[in-house]
Parts: sequence; structure tokens; C-alpha cells
Amino acid sequence: MAAPSSSSSSSPVLSLWKAYHQNTSDRLKFIDSFLIFLMISGIIQFVYCVLVTNFPFNAFLAGFSSTVGQFVLTASLRSQVNPENKGVFKDVSPERAFSDFVLGSIVLHFFVFNFLG
Amino acid sequence: MSTAYPLPTNLSKTTVANTASLLRIVALGLISAAAIASRLFAVINFESIIHEFDPWFNYRATRVLAAKGFYEFWNWFDPTAWYPLGRVVGGTVYPGLMATSGVIYNFLHAFNLPVDIRNICVLLAPGFSALTAWATYMFTKEMKDESAGLLAAAFIGIVPGYISRSVAGSYDNEAIAIFLLMFTFYCWIKALKTGSALFGTLAAVFYFYMVAAWGGYAFITNMIPVHALALMLMGRFSSRLYVAYCSWYAIGTLSSMQVPFVGFQPVRTSEHMGALGVFGLLQIVAFAQLARSHLSSKQFQNLLTVAVIVMGVVGTFGFIALTYMGWIAPWTGRFYSLWDTGYAKKYIPIIASVSEHQPTAWPSFFMDLQFLIFLFPAGVVLCFRELRDEHVFVIIYAVVASYFAGVMVRLMLTLTPVVCVASAVAFSSLMDTYLDPTQPEAEGESRPAEVDASAASNGSTASTASKKEKEKAKKPAAGGALSDIVAATSSSKKSKGVWGLDTRLVVIAHSLLMLGFFVFHCTWVTSSAYSSPSVVLASTNADGSQHIIDDFREAYYWLRQNTAEDAVVMSWWDYGYQIAGMADRPTLVDNNTWNNTHIATVGKAMSSSEEVAYPILRKHDVDYVLVIFGGLLGYSGDDINKFLWMVRIAQGVWPDEIQEPNYFTPQGEYRVDDRASSAMRNSLMYKMSYYRFAELFGGGQAVDRVRQQTMPKTGPTLDYLDEAFTSENWIVRIYQVRKEDDLGRDLKSANAFAQGKKRKRTKPVSKRRAITV
Amino acid sequence: MRLPSLIPFLSLFLLSSVWAAPKDKGAVRQQLIDLSAKGNGVIKLDSKTFDLLTLPNRDWSASIQFTALDRRRRCAPCKEFDPSWNAIAKAWTSTPKEHRDNHFFGTLDFDEGQAVFQKLGLASAPIVYVYPAAEGPRQAPSGKTGPSKYDFSTGFEAEPLAIHLSNHTPIPIPYKAPIDWARWATFISGLLGFALTIRFISPVLQSRWTWAAITVLTSLTMIGGFMFTRIRGMPYTGPDGSWIAAGYQNQYGQEVQVIALIYGTLSFAFLMLIMIVPYQSSPSRQRMQVYLWSAVVMLIYSVLITLFRIKNRGYPFKLLL
Repeated sequence: MAAPSSSSSSSPVLSLWKAYHQNTSDRLKFIDSFLIFLMISGIIQFVYCVLVTNFPFNAFLAGFSSTVGQFVLTASLRSQVNPENKGVFKDVSPERAFSDFVLGSIVLHFFVFNFLG
Repeated sequence: MSTAYPLPTNLSKTTVANTASLLRIVALGLISAAAIASRLFAVINFESIIHEFDPWFNYRATRVLAAKGFYEFWNWFDPTAWYPLGRVVGGTVYPGLMATSGVIYNFLHAFNLPVDIRNICVLLAPGFSALTAWATYMFTKEMKDESAGLLAAAFIGIVPGYISRSVAGSYDNEAIAIFLLMFTFYCWIKALKTGSALFGTLAAVFYFYMVAAWGGYAFITNMIPVHALALMLMGRFSSRLYVAYCSWYAIGTLSSMQVPFVGFQPVRTSEHMGALGVFGLLQIVAFAQLARSHLSSKQFQNLLTVAVIVMGVVGTFGFIALTYMGWIAPWTGRFYSLWDTGYAKKYIPIIASVSEHQPTAWPSFFMDLQFLIFLFPAGVVLCFRELRDEHVFVIIYAVVASYFAGVMVRLMLTLTPVVCVASAVAFSSLMDTYLDPTQPEAEGESRPAEVDASAASNGSTASTASKKEKEKAKKPAAGGALSDIVAATSSSKKSKGVWGLDTRLVVIAHSLLMLGFFVFHCTWVTSSAYSSPSVVLASTNADGSQHIIDDFREAYYWLRQNTAEDAVVMSWWDYGYQIAGMADRPTLVDNNTWNNTHIATVGKAMSSSEEVAYPILRKHDVDYVLVIFGGLLGYSGDDINKFLWMVRIAQGVWPDEIQEPNYFTPQGEYRVDDRASSAMRNSLMYKMSYYRFAELFGGGQAVDRVRQQTMPKTGPTLDYLDEAFTSENWIVRIYQVRKEDDLGRDLKSANAFAQGKKRKRTKPVSKRRAITV
Repeated sequence: MRLPSLIPFLSLFLLSSVWAAPKDKGAVRQQLIDLSAKGNGVIKLDSKTFDLLTLPNRDWSASIQFTALDRRRRCAPCKEFDPSWNAIAKAWTSTPKEHRDNHFFGTLDFDEGQAVFQKLGLASAPIVYVYPAAEGPRQAPSGKTGPSKYDFSTGFEAEPLAIHLSNHTPIPIPYKAPIDWARWATFISGLLGFALTIRFISPVLQSRWTWAAITVLTSLTMIGGFMFTRIRGMPYTGPDGSWIAAGYQNQYGQEVQVIALIYGTLSFAFLMLIMIVPYQSSPSRQRMQVYLWSAVVMLIYSVLITLFRIKNRGYPFKLLL
């Protein structure tokens, strides 16, 4: 994603960063930092799998899908609590969104735990 | 505002709403009752018995599960199937069905209700059909409103297309799968509409259940991504879509890999890659949207668009590259045969040989869906009128499922729900228009109140509800969905409505007539076509009474009582599960057709001459050979009619030894009488089928009632097998394989010697060769 | 295994030494090579050359197409199959000489060798026989010298035949399906045409009713049993000109059209009742339309039931008709 945009024009990326800094509430930034952590964790696992071994394939899959799953669930939470999206999520209040998030994560990690073997 | 017929005025809004919801509950209850009741024909006409072939295996597995518990079942290795290979049942089975019955069994026993496991298995499918009706109601409610939902529930409750796979005793994966299919779709639509991760998670959990229950889960795996992709292409991407899809996919994929039979397929095979691709695309698009919201530079947006397209292309090529490198398995044969329809016949005759994998001719569609089949396009068009996100789903589903149903009779089952939904939408729109009492005025807008059209749905399900429905038809229910539709159509400027009472009566009369006809049709089809257990046959006596033909069980019980417990029985694979389930004897091949070579071996033994077949039989320790012969009774599903498939499958593995054309007469006819080809006449199958058949007619003309051919006076002789058992109507014939001769002679010459004949008819050289091979 | 299989071979050898002794194998082979080169890889056989090719003591193998290409014979499958055969034979000529001369392709037309057809008891065409080598290093391990027949269950395409014949040739036949240039050209020009006209047709493509029409037409064709006729290769009408096939699991091509039309008309009538009739501004016209479409529904539905009763004789219900 970043490669084509940064090579041809670096200023839009800078202004994007600036706009992000200004317009985002602290709560969302907190979620974003968690997202970035998950992303790095996922990349490390993937690189490990490619470079070293994928031997217990189910363990790799469990770990990797737990990061990916947690990532998308958190990203969902982020878009649901984002005040800009209020019109999109009429039926989902931020509290409801959080409880959905917790439930989804529990189910996800139940399967992850089962899959670790 | 004028009305076409008088309405009570002294009703408060809450009374109307309460009555409407009460009636809905009553109607749903009646629909469930009708759905269950109409599936009990088989139990009433015959008895509480497991039907057909595959259910016998499911039943046997369920018994193991109920008796020994889940862990034992999970690790169950069945040495009697696929003798001598055996079968790891726990890892090669979709355990959802057995687990469901096991849970119900344990639940009932916990309450000290000692219900037999067989009755649970027999009645599971009707029970789940009631749940399917409810799931369809919920699904259709999201498409239009409650009245359409009730109609759809009533339709799916009694439509033959679904009954065909869910009568009592038809204890197969499809029995619970259609409920799971509909409920997963409902959760998906609900998740998409509300943007709630809760429903996405629910969809994933039910998807997991579906994966555990039926191989057809791949339909969901591809339907939902196609829907998401179509929405994105239509420019309808929203954060709701992101939440719904991602929560479903992340949890659903991980959970589907818990089923041992599925294993790592969701990350390794092409069938599942579409879902992964859409998942990746959604991440990119969502990120692009987020960036866009922070920045509105035109240049940057263009860049984003280009980047998205580049990523898409790179992803596609990466997928193709991975497929070529062998990381991702290409389409599996069974799946591929849906696209390239000639594929199966060429390369996997075993799939092409199954009757439910044949293409569907139009009478089958009409038989299974009756008037729904032509209401269904109308419903699809009505979906286009509004075209909300969930309508796109129905439209895609309609096209895809009608193609699949055309290719394979079996997939009619996936078409049936969408036909019910779409035609319920159409029918309830019709009812909305013509039951609505308000008449349009000469000028000005009218705001018509909606009339609950579910009265009609009651009429189609249970005649006991007729009293209530009359009351109901008069009571208008609250609801404003119609005004939305009016606003959505282009001609909303004009006033909408119908004048006069007679016009209403005409339309309602012919609609009710159609519904009534539908009920009669469904009842007739269900009772006459779909309620036969096929283990027990029925015929009608001259005086109209029913005559039960019970040859199969007679023969299987004979095997059970009179043979050694480890006696290996060879038969064509159709009967493998039944032999295992009823006779409890090891079989060479069964309906789990995973090993083509093994099946071809049986095919070869059946289609070769005795001399060639005997070593094969001995090598596989076969003690008994079982054939199905319908020539005496006129039972057309017998082995001689299936024989060409045995030849074909054997030919696929031994093209030099078995050749299909040899089994036809030089004129290209398939004959069994004295004009039959020599390969045909010498084949083990032919000999076993017609052995001593002519004697039965005591010198008269022996006629094969299935093929309508006159058999030669002197029937075939057997040297390597002994007739062990023939059932009452000759449907099942069992032969015992002789052991090698004590004196080391070739069995044929030993036989001839015992009969006091000289070796004159046969050439000894070839005989000796056969035995030394 | 070994001993008994030698017996027929020995007897054959004795026979051939008496009967085929005058013919020099080497000369015959050279003759065949020349004939083959002349015919672009395929030897045009007649009764005499057929005997040469299938010499009882041959140490080469041969595959022979029995056909009837003459127009009077009216053998359409023969004409369909002939190009595949020639293409495979052509592919064989590109193999190295030492392999090529060990397997020959021949074509025997009915009009050239009626005697051979009679001798072999062939009553139909096309037929492909493969004669394995009867002697020498390439003799079949089972000692089989008689021909084996190729069955056309996979159709007349060259590809499966080439795979099958490769089992009998010294090295696999280097047959590659020719690239279907016409198909690619159509595909690319279609794509180009689409790209060029997208500006003009995009409003059409974006209209939901275009898609509605496509969807409904597809569904109607499918539920009319189109895939059945395609997969089974059913003719458009019956041989006696009847358009409706007897039997429940059977149908002709024309039935697809009729049934799709019936379903379409019924759907359309319902749609008129739902979508158009309520918006009429004049009560009398509206009434007329209601009666009209109701009559259409009942009538066409009765026709449909009648058709269904023809297909399914046991169906007990009927409507008006």
C-alpha cells in the first residue's frame, strides 16, 4: 500500500499523517496503537513461518489467525465507535459495539485455543 | 378515504399490533406442525426405519457415538469397511449430524426419557424442517416484511424440493444442513444490515456448525464473498460490510479448520480462496476509505484507486502463481465438475454414475417446486425494484442456485430456499396490493395501510387454521413498509390502489386456488414419490391393498444370522452401508466412494468371467457375493441396470482388460437374452443374476421383467460360487465363494468331474492358465 | 505365467514361418516407412497394405483407423474424427527416427478394404484398433498379439486418444492441442470492443433493469432444463419431428424454450398485477387489466399442467384444460 504512494509523492503521505494527528480522538489513537501492535505481531509470525519453519502448521495458523482475527475485530470496533460513522451504524451504540467486540474475541480465542493443539 | 370493504373502527392500535403478533406466532406454530406432519408419511405407511443408503452409515455411526461417547467416536477406526483397508471414521466424516443426535439423545436421557436412538435419528429431519421454516421466516422478514416471511415459511415447510431430502427416516446431512444454511444467511444479512459484530460472530458459529454437518458448506463459503464483492463493485462499500464480513471470515475460517475432515483446506484449496481474496480486498478498501476521510486531495485519491487495482491484480497473479507452485490445490474434481460439465464423465465416472448427480430436466423442477417456480422470477424482479443490499444477495443466490440445480438434481436442495423466499416476496406483494381495503382517490396521495397477507399462508399449510384465517383476513395489521415501496417506484406520483371489490375477489380467488392446488400437489408428491424408504418396497395388490416387499432386510438378516461374524461380503458399493448397518458384516466397498481403485476392483470382478474373477475374490478374502436382481419382480434399480457403470469404472483402471463395447451386441444394444454378447454372458454379474432363473418358470418362457427380454432356456452355470441364499422375490441373491479344491484341481474341472462329465466343452489350456495367475 | 503364454506364441511363430516366410520383414518395414512419409504420417491402407501392416511376425506396432469418409456412406462421426487422427499422426512424425519407425498410423477406408471390414466383423465406423508388436523387443509382456479397440467414450477429441495411444507407442506421442487462434481472437476483440464502447453502454450497464433482465433470463433458461439438454446433448426436436420428449427425466431442446416462455409469461402476468395495474388512473381500464391478467394466469397455468401431465403420466391433477 505504502510503496506506490510514497515513491511518487511523499507530501500527501505527510499531510495524511498530519490530518490524522489532528482529527483523531485519543480513544481512537489508542485503538490504532493496538492495531499496529497486532499488525507487527502478525508480520513477525509470517516472516518466521516463511524463513524458519511452518512445522506445527496448526500452531502457526492458530497464532496467525488470532492476530488477524483480533485485528479485524478491533478494526470493526474502531469503525463502530468512530463518531464519523454514526450515520452508518444506527443500531450499534459504542457500548453495544464493545460488548460485540468482547464476545467476538472470546469466541475467536476459544477456537484459537482449541486449534493450538 | 374510501374503502372497498368495511373495517372495524373501534380497535386501538396496540390491540391490532398485539393480535397481529399473536397470530404470527400461531401461524408459525401451525406451519411447523404442518412441516413435521407432512414428513411422516414414511413412518405411517411403513414403519420407523432408516431410509436408503447413506443414512444407514450415519445411523451406525450415531449408535457408536451414543453408546460409547464422543471421544470413542472421534477415534473410531472401522476395520469392517473397505476391507482390508478399513476406514478412519472420525477423520473422514462430517460429524455435525451425529453430534446433534447424540446431544439430543443425552439430553432426553438426562430427563429420564428413554427414547430409542433410532427414533431420534428417524425424526431428526422433520424436526429440523420446522426450524428451517422458522429460519426462512426470519430471512424473508429481512427481505420484505413479516407477511412475506410467513408465506416463505409455509412454502418451505411443505415444498417437495426440500421434503425430498428430509422425510422421516432420511437421516442424512442435508436434514440439518438446510436449516444451518438459511440461518447462516440470515445472520449474515442481519450483520450486514446492522453492522454488528455480534451477528457476524453468530454467522461464523453457525457456519462452523454447517461445516461440521455438510460438504455443501462451500456454497456459503463462496456465496457470502460473491455478495460482498458485488456490493463493492456496485460502489456500496460501507463500514457495516467491513464489520460483517471480517468478523464472519476471521472467526468462521478458523473455526472451520477445527473439523478434521476439512483440515487445512480453507487455506490450501481454490474453493476457499475467493473468500480470502475478498477479505484482503476489504482490508485495502477499508484502509483507503479511512485515508480518504482524512484527506481529500484529488491526486491522492487517484493514487489510492490505482493502488487498490494494482493490489487486486498482484493478488490474482499471486494466487495463480501459488496454484502452479502447488501451494494451493486447484479445484477438486467434485467441485470442478460443476463448471465443466463433461469433466466428471471423462475422469471420475464414479461421480457421474450416481443418479443424484445427473442433470435436471424441467419436469423435475416443476415436480419439486410447482407454482413457486414461475413466481420466483417475479420475486427476483421485485427485488430489483428496491435493490437494497440484502436484495442483491437474493438475486445472486437465485442465479447461482438455478444454474447449480440445472447441473445436478441433488442441488435442487440449495435452490429451494431461494425460490421460496423470492416467490413469497412476489406473492405477498400481490396480496398487499389486493387485500388493501383503501381505494385510490381521484387526486391526491393516499397512504394505504398494509393488510397482513399471512392469511393466505395459513390457508396453504393447515386446513385446521381456516377458522382463524377468516378472522385474520379482516383484521388489518399495522405496518408501513408499503409506503416505502411506493416511494421507491418511479411512478410514485400517481396514486396507487385498486378500485372495486370484484377485482380484488378475482385476484384473491385465483391466488387461493393456486395455493390450494399447491397443497394438494405437495401432499401427492410427498406421499407418492418421496416417502419410500427404498429398503422396504411397496406394491399394490389387485384389490388395492398394500403389499410390502421386504427382501432387503430378509437377506441382510440372513447374512447376520447364518454367516461367520468376519465373513467378507462383496457387493456393488451402493449396498455397502446397508450391509454394514443391517447385516453387520465387513464389506469391500461402500457408499463413501473415496478409493476409486478399490471400487474398480469390485467392478472388474463383477464384469469379468468367473476364472478371472475368482483369484480377485480369493485375494480379497471374499466369502459371500451379494447381487441385486429385479428381473423377477420388475424392480428396475437392480445391478444389471447398474452394470455398465461397473464396467466403465473398471475400464478406467484396466482399459486393456475390460472394455465397455464388449458388453453390447454388435448392433450396439444392451441385451441379456440369447443375443447378449459373450463378455456379457460370461460376466460374473450376469451369471449370478440369472443363475437358475429359467428353472423358475418350469420350462415356460423365462422373461426378465425389467429388460422385457426372453431369457434362454438353459441358464448360466457357476463353478466357483455356490448359491447360498435367494430372497423371497429374488431381489437379493447371495453366493458363497468356494474354497480352493482339496485336490488342487481347478474348480471348474473338479465340478465337471463331480457331475461325471468329461472335459469336452472346455479347453483345458486356458483353464489352467487362469488358476496359476 | 511364462510357460502358458509361450504356447500361443510358439504356435504363431510356427504358423508365420510357414505362411509369411517369403515376405522379408525389413523390406516391408521400408515400404511402410515410405508410404507413411508419403501420407504425412498416415498410411492410406487397402486390403493388401493392411495385411502388410498387420504382418503376423511384425516387430512394429500399428494403430489403424477404420473409417468411411466417402460421402455416400454418410458417416458424420467419421468426418468429425478424421482431423484428430491426422493431427496425432502428424505429431508422431516429429519424433526421432528410431522410435518413429517402430509405430505406424494407418487409415483404412471402407471403400478401399471391404474385405478387411468383413474379415474383422466390423459393422460400424469409426473404429480405432491398436496392433501391438508380435515379435522382437517391443512385444507385449502378456504375449498378446491381437488388436485392442479404443472406445470413444471420451469423444472424438485428439487429446484423450493421444494419451491412450501413448501407452502403445515406443515413446509418448508429442501431441499438443493446437492453440485455438480464432477463439483467442474473438475473446480479445470482444474485450477491445467492450473497452471501446464502455462509454456508450455504461448507462445501460448501470441500469438495474438490464441486470434484472439478464438475471431473469438466465434463471428461466436454467429452470427450463437447459443444462440437461447441454450435458446430455439432446437434439432440438425428436427424430420424428415431435418437440416434446416422452418420459419424466428427458426433454428436447425446444422444450427449454417453450417452458421458459410459459414461466416467463406467468411471471410477467404476476408482475403486471403487482407493479402496473395498481397505478392505472382509470377504474374501468384497471378492471379490464385485472381480469385480463387473471385469465392469462389461469389459462397458461392450465397449459403448463397439461404439459406436465404429458411428461408425468401418473400426475392426478388438472386445471381448466
